[in-house]
Amino acid sequence: MNSRIPAWWSTGRRVLWAAALAMIAASFWMVFARAPVEVQMGAVQKIVYVHVPSAIATLLAFGLTFAASIAFLATRSAIWDSIAAASCEVGMVFATIVLVSGPLWARSAWNTWWTWEPRLTTFLILWLLYGGYHVVRASISSGAKRTVSSVLGIVLFVNLPIVWKSVQWWRGSLHPQAVTMDQDMRRVLLFSMAAWMVFFVAAFQERLRLEALREASEMES
Amino acid sequence: MTLFHVTAKDLKLHARDARFLATLALFSLSLVLILSVAFGPLFQDPAREASATLWAALFFAGVLGLTRALDMESESGGGEALRLTGADPFAIYGGKTIANFVLMAALFALVLPCAAVFFDVGNLAVLPALAGVAALALVGYAAWGTLFAALARGLKARELLLSVLLFPTLIPLWIGAVKLTHSLWADGTIEAVRDWVKIMVVMDVLGLALAAWLYEVIQEAEE
Repeated sequence: MNSRIPAWWSTGRRVLWAAALAMIAASFWMVFARAPVEVQMGAVQKIVYVHVPSAIATLLAFGLTFAASIAFLATRSAIWDSIAAASCEVGMVFATIVLVSGPLWARSAWNTWWTWEPRLTTFLILWLLYGGYHVVRASISSGAKRTVSSVLGIVLFVNLPIVWKSVQWWRGSLHPQAVTMDQDMRRVLLFSMAAWMVFFVAAFQERLRLEALREASEMES
Repeated sequence: MTLFHVTAKDLKLHARDARFLATLALFSLSLVLILSVAFGPLFQDPAREASATLWAALFFAGVLGLTRALDMESESGGGEALRLTGADPFAIYGGKTIANFVLMAALFALVLPCAAVFFDVGNLAVLPALAGVAALALVGYAAWGTLFAALARGLKARELLLSVLLFPTLIPLWIGAVKLTHSLWADGTIEAVRDWVKIMVVMDVLGLALAAWLYEVIQEAEE
C-alpha cells in the first residue's frame, strides 16, 4: 500500500462498502416488500425510492465540489482539488441515474418520456455543465488544471439554486413543490435516502483514494 | 482609465482585422438566412421564429468573436503583458467585457433588421424596448463570455471550454431574450413575460460578481 494512503482508510473503506451494499440491498427489499403500492401509478411509483435519493446525492456532491473549490483557492492545498474532482465525478453518476430514472417515471405519470418542463430542463443543463467540467479538466495537463477546475467548480454551482427553485420560479412545472405520502412510504423513502447517502460516501472516498494513488504514482515517476 | 484603455486596445485589434469582421457578419447573416428558409416560406408564428433565429445567430456568432479575441491576444502575448502591468484585474476584465459588448451590439444592429425583414415582423414602435432587451442579453453574454474566455486563455482546449460550458450557462439568458423579443414582436409589450427581465438581470449581475471575485485567480492560472 502506498505511504500516502493511511492504513485505517484501507480498512475503513471495506467496512463502508459492506455497510453501503447491505443498506442498498435492505432498501430494495423494503421498497418491494414493505412499501405500499401506489393506487394510480402502481409499481412504477417505486422509482421514486431511487430517483429522489439520487437527486439529493447529486446536489450534495456538486455542493461539496463548490465548497472544496473555494477551499482550494483559499489554501492552495491539493487535497481540496482532489475532493472537488472526486465529488463531482460521483455527482455525475448520480445525476445520470436521475436523468435515466426520471423519464421512466414520466412515461407512466405524464404519458411522455421527456417534456420541456422547468426542472427537467434545468437539470439537463446542470448535467451538461458538469460533464463539461470533466471534459475540460481532462484536457488540461498543466499546473493550471487545479485553478481552472476550482473556478469552474464555483461558477457552475450557480445552476444548483436554479434547479432547486425552478418549480417555484417557472409556471407549468409538473414536478410537485411538496409531496404528501403514506407513513410507510415515507419511512421507506427515508431509509432509501440514508442507504444511498452511505453509498455516496463509499463511492466518494473510493474515488478520492484513486486520486491520491494517482498523484502518488505521478510524484514517484 | 485602465478599463477604457483595454476597451480601446481590443476594439482597435478588431478594427484592424476587417477580414474577420466581414466573416463574422457573413456568418451571422447566413445563420439568419438558413433558419428563415428552414422555418418558411409559410411561417407558423413569425414573431416566435424570428426571435429564436435572431438570438441563435447572435449567440453562435458571438463565440467566434470571443475565440478570435483570445487568439489575437495569445498570438501577441498581450494577455501576459497586461498582467505584468500590475493593473487592477477587474479593470482589465471590465475593458474586455465592454469591447465584447460593443462587438456584439454591432452584430445585433446588423442582424436585427435582416431577421425583421426576412420574417416580416418589423415594428419600429418596439425598437427602444428591443434595444433594452438586447442590452440585458448582451451585457450578460459579454460578462460570462469574457469570464470563460479568460479561463480558456493559454489552454489548449479553449474552443472546447467555450462551447461546452458557455452555451449551457447562457441558456437562461438566451430563453429570456427570445421570450421578451417574441412578446414585443407579437404583442408590442413584455407584460406577460416580465419575470424574465429579473432572471436576465440576475444572470448579468452574477456574471459580473463572479468575475470580480475570480478574475485575478483566473489571470494567474497558466498553462
